Amino acid sequence: MKRYALAALTGVLLIGTAMTGPASAANIGVAMAQFDDNFLTVLRNGMIEYAKTLPDVTLQVEDGANDANKQLSEIQNFVASKVDAIIVNPVDTDATAAITKLAADANIPLVYVNRQPVNLDSLPANQAFVASNEKDSGTLETQQVCKDLKAAGKTEASVYVMEGLLNNQSAIQRTQDVKDVLATPDCSFIKIIDTQTANYQRNDAQTLMANWITTGTKFDGVISNNDEMAIGAIQAIKAAGMDPKTLVIGGIDATEDGLAAMAAGDLKVTVFQDAAGQGKGALDTALALAKGQKVDKEVWVPFQLVTPDNMAQFQKKN
Amino acid sequence: MAEASAPQEIDSAGVHRRPWPPEVNVLIGLIVIALIFEALGWGLVHQSFLGNPARLQIMILQVSIEGIIAVGVTQVIITGGIDLSSGSVVGASAMILMSFAQASTYARAVFPMFTDQPIIVPILVGLACGLIAGLINGLIIAYTKIPPFIATLGMMVSARGVANWYTKGQPVSFPTDAYAAISSGINPVLVFLAIAVIFHIIMRYTLYGRRTYAIGSNEHAARVSGINVERHQVLVYAIAGLLSAVAAIVLTSRNLTAQAGMGTGYELDAIAMAVIGGVSLYGGRGSIIGTVLGALILGVITSGFTFLRVDAYYQEMIKGVIIVGAVVQDVFRQRLRGRG
Repeated sequence: MKRYALAALTGVLLIGTAMTGPASAANIGVAMAQFDDNFLTVLRNGMIEYAKTLPDVTLQVEDGANDANKQLSEIQNFVASKVDAIIVNPVDTDATAAITKLAADANIPLVYVNRQPVNLDSLPANQAFVASNEKDSGTLETQQVCKDLKAAGKTEASVYVMEGLLNNQSAIQRTQDVKDVLATPDCSFIKIIDTQTANYQRNDAQTLMANWITTGTKFDGVISNNDEMAIGAIQAIKAAGMDPKTLVIGGIDATEDGLAAMAAGDLKVTVFQDAAGQGKGALDTALALAKGQKVDKEVWVPFQLVTPDNMAQFQKKN
Repeated sequence: MAEASAPQEIDSAGVHRRPWPPEVNVLIGLIVIALIFEALGWGLVHQSFLGNPARLQIMILQVSIEGIIAVGVTQVIITGGIDLSSGSVVGASAMILMSFAQASTYARAVFPMFTDQPIIVPILVGLACGLIAGLINGLIIAYTKIPPFIATLGMMVSARGVANWYTKGQPVSFPTDAYAAISSGINPVLVFLAIAVIFHIIMRYTLYGRRTYAIGSNEHAARVSGINVERHQVLVYAIAGLLSAVAAIVLTSRNLTAQAGMGTGYELDAIAMAVIGGVSLYGGRGSIIGTVLGALILGVITSGFTFLRVDAYYQEMIKGVIIVGAVVQDVFRQRLRGRG
């Protein structure tokens, strides 16, 4: 009888401990800027897959459909349903003050991912930012383009620069990186002929490049804010009867299509942005904040330069 | 009454006058804008804008895809309706049809058992998608009588949802070489012009065309004179959906990819082309020729901006002003003729 009582008591204690389990059970609200973006899709899926490997973590993922107002409503819903933490990929990086306030007022930890919020420096203690530093992306890309042009024996070169969405902090920063690198003495032999936007889209880039080619200006390369536009440029160059292999074309993202272009020899430079890594980092940070732990305000996931030499290791990642 | 051939007018002196067809106005606008860029070109970059055959080709090539959509939207607007779903239907059709156009050399195809299909397969799949979307639009608008704005807005949102859902946002790329050949060279232009010619003939010389104008001019009178308005509306929206699918085929073949966000904003560009070309949003007025000219105007503007190296931030603002200017100028001309 006593042994049974002891066993029963132990059993109850064990079950009791399991039931009052710590905050390993977490409900996280995720507000993505848009679902129909390749890079953000990899980020989102990376987050979802990682969450599946964690015990008792539930994600609720919403699509902001590139509408800042819609996104704000989604976050209000998260606050109302008292989630343990919120992860936000902001539609508009200038509109994040309102988002920060919503979460701070409700004392819910919040993590911004991939797009730098304008109020980064004044984030409260329970909010953080996980991303890759856009100062590195354009810099790595342009330095490699510079190296490649030098290796091709050019003492003077001219390039076109293709910009992403003009209201996007990443596009603005990447273009600035290009200008900064080309201002250094090492790379000042390269001149920019023109800088125009193709909205991160392949079709727009094809049109833009075709128009540039009709001006008859000689050029040695195209530095693009992302792979999709670089591919569009390559298509236009081919359609005009020119060989992209004789030029130095660079992109950013190392998407599957981009790596295929690199394998074909058309794209010489790209930069891998670890989307899944950012998603994972954001989720880890959110869970840590939900547990009340302190985290760094800025968590940087490094960019990695991709050239034909090392492209094999990036094949499966996107 | 069909606006196709402008009716004779009698002026104050009692003399029969045949006024210019409205398309002449758009043509003048096109020539004026082209000449402005030509002049600015000599002044700013010391190069001829128009004297460049490659550029002339690009100008029409870059608007061909939206131009195909615009031909369909023109007919919808002439009946007094509107179609906001074209861009999303392009996106959804693109995603679905591309999954049947992939090459077997690509390791991560959506349907590994359906790679290397003859191009007729993705083409038919795409056309079916567009047709279904257009039929849904038409049936809802014709038989529930809710405003076309709302019905096609619903389709715009739902179709985009389908585009996003189909492969969870992953792009569908690496089509077969045969499929890529569809849009090689200037084929997009040929497709656009062929469709424009076909529908110009249909709108001007067939019963379908006359009925389209009739419904737009005065739906009640059209109904009373025996036209099955509902059936015609279904047909018009179905054709618009079909043409959006054709645009999707040309677009995906040209870009060798289908992306869930493709086509975003195309419906507005298509409507702008039609409106610049003289289509009235109240219905009953407009023509395919006008729409083609409207498309050319947008093409000239796009190339012109790149040619002059206009700062990207100014381009959209100026484009908006030009679009409104073109329509205001047309409205004034209509008012002077006493039509309003």
